[in-house]
Amino acid sequence: MTARILIIDDEPQIQRFLGHALTASGYVVAQAATAVAGLEAIERDPPDLLILDIGLPDLDGKTVIERLRQTTDLPIIVLSAQDQEMEKIMALDLGANDFVAKPFMIGELLARMRACLRQSRPATLEVIRHGPLVIDLAAHSVTLNATALRMTPKEFDLLELLARNPGRVLTHRQLLKQVWGPAHVDDLPYLRVFIGQLRQKIEADPARPELILTEPGIGYRWASELAK
Amino acid sequence: MDSPGLAPHKQPMQDTTRPLHATPLRAPETRWSARPTLLGLAAAALLLTLAAAITTLTRSIWPETSGLYLFFAAVLLSATRYGFWVGIASALAAFALFNFFFVEPLYTLRVDNPADFMALAEFLLMAALTGFLAGRLREEADAAKSRAEVLEVLSDFAADLAQAKDADAILQIVPRHLATVGQGRAMVLCQRDGLELFASFPPGTQPLPDDLAAADRAVTRQSVQVGVQPGWDGSPLTFVPLGTVVLGYGTYGPSTNLAFREQALAVICRQVSLALDRFTFAAKAEAARIAADREALRAALLTSLSHDLRTPLATILGSITTLRELGASLPEAARRDLELAIEEETQRLSRHVDNLLHMTRLQAGLALRLTWVDPGEVVDAAVARAKRAFPNVTYAVNATDLPLIRAEAGLLEQALFNLIDNAVKFSPKPATLWIDGHVDHHLRLTVRDAGSGIEPAVLPQIFTPFFRAAPHASSGTGLGLTICQGIVQALGGTLTAESPTAFGPGSAFHIDLALAEPP
Repeated sequence: MTARILIIDDEPQIQRFLGHALTASGYVVAQAATAVAGLEAIERDPPDLLILDIGLPDLDGKTVIERLRQTTDLPIIVLSAQDQEMEKIMALDLGANDFVAKPFMIGELLARMRACLRQSRPATLEVIRHGPLVIDLAAHSVTLNATALRMTPKEFDLLELLARNPGRVLTHRQLLKQVWGPAHVDDLPYLRVFIGQLRQKIEADPARPELILTEPGIGYRWASELAK
Repeated sequence: MDSPGLAPHKQPMQDTTRPLHATPLRAPETRWSARPTLLGLAAAALLLTLAAAITTLTRSIWPETSGLYLFFAAVLLSATRYGFWVGIASALAAFALFNFFFVEPLYTLRVDNPADFMALAEFLLMAALTGFLAGRLREEADAAKSRAEVLEVLSDFAADLAQAKDADAILQIVPRHLATVGQGRAMVLCQRDGLELFASFPPGTQPLPDDLAAADRAVTRQSVQVGVQPGWDGSPLTFVPLGTVVLGYGTYGPSTNLAFREQALAVICRQVSLALDRFTFAAKAEAARIAADREALRAALLTSLSHDLRTPLATILGSITTLRELGASLPEAARRDLELAIEEETQRLSRHVDNLLHMTRLQAGLALRLTWVDPGEVVDAAVARAKRAFPNVTYAVNATDLPLIRAEAGLLEQALFNLIDNAVKFSPKPATLWIDGHVDHHLRLTVRDAGSGIEPAVLPQIFTPFFRAAPHASSGTGLGLTICQGIVQALGGTLTAESPTAFGPGSAFHIDLALAEPP
């Protein structure tokens, strides 16, 4: 089944090339120029994925995400500008699945879309394989090149959370909340230490990570084979 | 506390609405024990003479003892009117006179009858008591009057404080009030390179070396320097430091009222201090508000620029990567549309960059390169550029046979283009624009449209930066008209807007430029 994509963006020129690109990539594209029109379109005919410009003239992009998240798990990719860092992080914390910063190359957006669409399929994974790395979720064991790695419970939780969301950015707050609990959402140093330890154990070159990628100022992303 | 922006040594403002208490409020000594005056003694003597004369004339009719009452009356009157010591003197004189003229043996001061000593004692006691009581009463009355006067000054001062627009105004008026209450000299000095006189009362009063030394001590130690008593070395003025400002005042007057006056002076100093603080805070708040406004303007500029530069860039990069990566699966029409989008957005970007460069140049205040310019050619160039940017618009141009002007062609073209750009945005499709040039006392270039026009309410705002008449409906920085106005003003002309126009709905923008003597 072809995925249906809704693009909410007030810039006709952006809509123009996105329309061509997504149609050519095999998606069915619907477009809305305002948040209100977009929300109506979602209610009328829910798409499989939403591409949302964060700076809309009528409603704040964050408000749109908040409203949508009350009722739906619809994957949302946020289009943001470089100077909208805070808005971007807030959008992700509010439940947007990923972001693409303008200007972007179409391949980047398409990769994010694929990652989001795949995630939205219910996954009942028991074992995650990523090259030589094998994470056995049921047995709580990790092997690299068939060698078992020793992991603390927190390290394993963090690794599992990242690996379960391939290609998707997870914000610092999301990771801290999930692994350490809501009281620790601002304890960024914990996260940095544990990410460092994980990289020491699983990355071929911890200084140049290929599995746990850093999104500066935002969070971390598990490398998706599709995103490469 | 910050130093208020003081202008040095201005003369105090003359307030014509209230009477000036230029002279000290009251005659100096009115205490009950005040020293007898010559006038008082003379008047007392006259009264006693009168009493003696009447007693002599009537001694045949009335018994002599009744004369005693006349002498009593004279002593009482003198004591009441001229105080304790005159009363005592009058009593002694009265006893002597009465004894000499009317008591046996007559014409001697000898006293045979002990009862007559009683009379003398009565005279003295009566005079002392009366003089004392009358003096005290007069003193009380004077004190009450003085207090009323001080209160009136304080009330005047409060009114002045309320009316004062800035710290300078307060410091200008305060010496007058200090001088009125303290009944001496008063001055305000302020610390800059050194201590300088800012205002004084009575007008023209200059600080003496002793005053300056005391004021300097006050401001360096930040402590009140109390004035010295007369006859001692040092300044008789008290100096109160308020940050970098020093208030100086002298106090003279009857000691019974001094405490009250000192209190009033302290109140005035405290009020001045509070008022200066108030203005300092107000100035800080105002500065903070201006800074916030400037910050908001900068933020708006950045957001606006970011949006307007990024959108074309995003379109160009997105379109190019789409063509490259998905070219094979794109239909021919989609490919051509993407190519067109790239072209359009590159032009749009170029327009933004042009505007930005012009704006930066104007803001940097770089000198204009004025040359002789044919306005018709500039109009043609702007229209040609507009035709490339907005090919679907009809342009009715009438700008021929215009005189040469002194201008910078590139800037003028940009101004005209911005007006055309603006007119296109607010015109219904298909749009028609009229671009005219004609000469009256000056050269007028007009860009007119038949679009939605400008609401009268927003007409005055349209040249302010980032103002967008329809923020959601159209794209644009909100800088186009602002830049246009900046250019026109830099060229020495004026930009005006009119809506609706003489031709009906829509709006017209006029660039008026001065005509120059032909070369």
